[in-house]
Amino acid sequence: MQERNLLLERLGTALKYAILIIGAIMMVFPFAWMIDASLMTSSEIQRRPPALYPAEVQWQNFTQLLDVLPFGRLYLNSLIVTISTVIGVLFTSSLAGFAFAKYQFPGREVLFYIILATMMIPFFVTLIPVFYIVRQLGWIDSYQGLILPSITSAYGIFLMRQFIVSIPDELIDAARIDGAPEPMIYWRIIIPLTRPALATLGTFVFIGSWNAFLWPLLVINSRDLYTVPLGLNTLRTFAAEARNLNLLMSGTVLSVVPTLILFIFLQRYFIQGITLTGLKG
Amino acid sequence: MRRRMIWGYVFIAIPILWLLVFSLGPILFSGWVSLHRWDMITPVAEMPYTGLENYDYIFTRDNVFPKALGNTFLFAIGGVTTNVVLGLAFALLLNTKIRGRTLWRVLYFLPVITAPLALGVIFAFMFNRNYGVINNLLVVLNLPRQGFLNDPNQAMFVLIAIAVYQYVGYYIVIYLAGLQDIPQDYYDAARVDGASYWQELWYITLPLLRPVMLFIIVTNTIGALQVFDLVFATTGGAPANSTMTVVLYMYNTAFKYSRMGRASAMAFVLFGIILLITIVQLRLFRDRTTA
Repeated sequence: MQERNLLLERLGTALKYAILIIGAIMMVFPFAWMIDASLMTSSEIQRRPPALYPAEVQWQNFTQLLDVLPFGRLYLNSLIVTISTVIGVLFTSSLAGFAFAKYQFPGREVLFYIILATMMIPFFVTLIPVFYIVRQLGWIDSYQGLILPSITSAYGIFLMRQFIVSIPDELIDAARIDGAPEPMIYWRIIIPLTRPALATLGTFVFIGSWNAFLWPLLVINSRDLYTVPLGLNTLRTFAAEARNLNLLMSGTVLSVVPTLILFIFLQRYFIQGITLTGLKG
Repeated sequence: MRRRMIWGYVFIAIPILWLLVFSLGPILFSGWVSLHRWDMITPVAEMPYTGLENYDYIFTRDNVFPKALGNTFLFAIGGVTTNVVLGLAFALLLNTKIRGRTLWRVLYFLPVITAPLALGVIFAFMFNRNYGVINNLLVVLNLPRQGFLNDPNQAMFVLIAIAVYQYVGYYIVIYLAGLQDIPQDYYDAARVDGASYWQELWYITLPLLRPVMLFIIVTNTIGALQVFDLVFATTGGAPANSTMTVVLYMYNTAFKYSRMGRASAMAFVLFGIILLITIVQLRLFRDRTTA
């Protein structure tokens, strides 16, 4: 009887790992296939059936790709936009979160509810008006057009307020007694103490901003200002016509690698953020 | 004290201004535009008022919008159902004694942080009728080649599969957090009474996971109703509009055909649906906190 149970348990464990491994292979397979194809020749890909692996690894796909699409420039643009957006969101969210958590002023509750309400507005409803406003401001085809509309986040303000509420008032009062002006309290006390929340929010905003496609597609016309997703989209149409599928895959590799690397290093914060929004939000 | 009050206003000034200009104002403006005919070139003051004409048009005379709405629902229902079940199954597996939990989590999570546009490019390549790896696997297994994204009867299901692939890791993480919130005492007590694994699952785990499951259903539905990048990168709504979704059609109507009024009406219809779901969510969560 006991032996049978042990056997069953072993079988169960083996099955468990088998399912997890199959699942993981399915998850990684598209990425592996993308890297595989990015190192083939175009004819190897289009042969019927295509090659399973490159007869000879085509590293030159990547150098050829750089002739078609200036990836350095795309990275630079994406970095400028993404980092500015992250800094903007972290700054405005922590400031407003601080004010809503620790200051008394008339209208505080109402304004906070308004902010909560804007969290429910989906992006596509505001797309046409925001595009119109940005155009009226003369921000089409500019970094500010990409960055400025998204430097505040209702969700960010909410998250930071929840976090700052739990900071003891005594810390703030002690600083005031020492004669610290309010902005210094924000900078010297609030910012250091909210670092984990800032890291979580920052990771989210970074990935969202790096992957953003629709807004840049609307705002940017000139290739000099293309972000990585816009470049990938151009490559997509180009590859469909020219049948340069190997270059398309090299481009996709270059476009996803930065977020993958960032995630591997910061996954703790990311998972934390999800659990936070998923259950306590 | 007064000076401190002023600092409060200073600190919230930029976010409040921004939300007014880029969020609250636009939604009112969008509602206003949906009652007009507008090409975005005519000055705002001169756009002709048409009443509910745009709403009437998209439901009764436009033959793509109802279809797009149906497709969007199909996409949401198919994806959400699969995510709810598959996410739970894998979360239950990962919640047992298992080696390398972080590694599994990272692997299952990779698609979540990848741009939907990039995943669309990769999958359009993998599901290609002529040279795609999926068709080649079918041939190896002696099965007939499929049209996939080129077949009007299959394309939407391929898109659902891609969306599940992309987001199931996200829901696994949420489920896992929910599972870890369930006190171990319940299971210990059940075991003393001789409950089997399936009884524990049915009488303890599932009832206690109900709020998490509701959260997943509601947020996943709201997200799926807004799908754009994935469809744009794979089919663009083709073949025969079988994968046309509301946001993609709205985007085309506005930025290809310059019909801002109609596009705004579409946006508002979808927004109304999402708002309804959000209200349901809020009610469900209120029940949860008072219970």
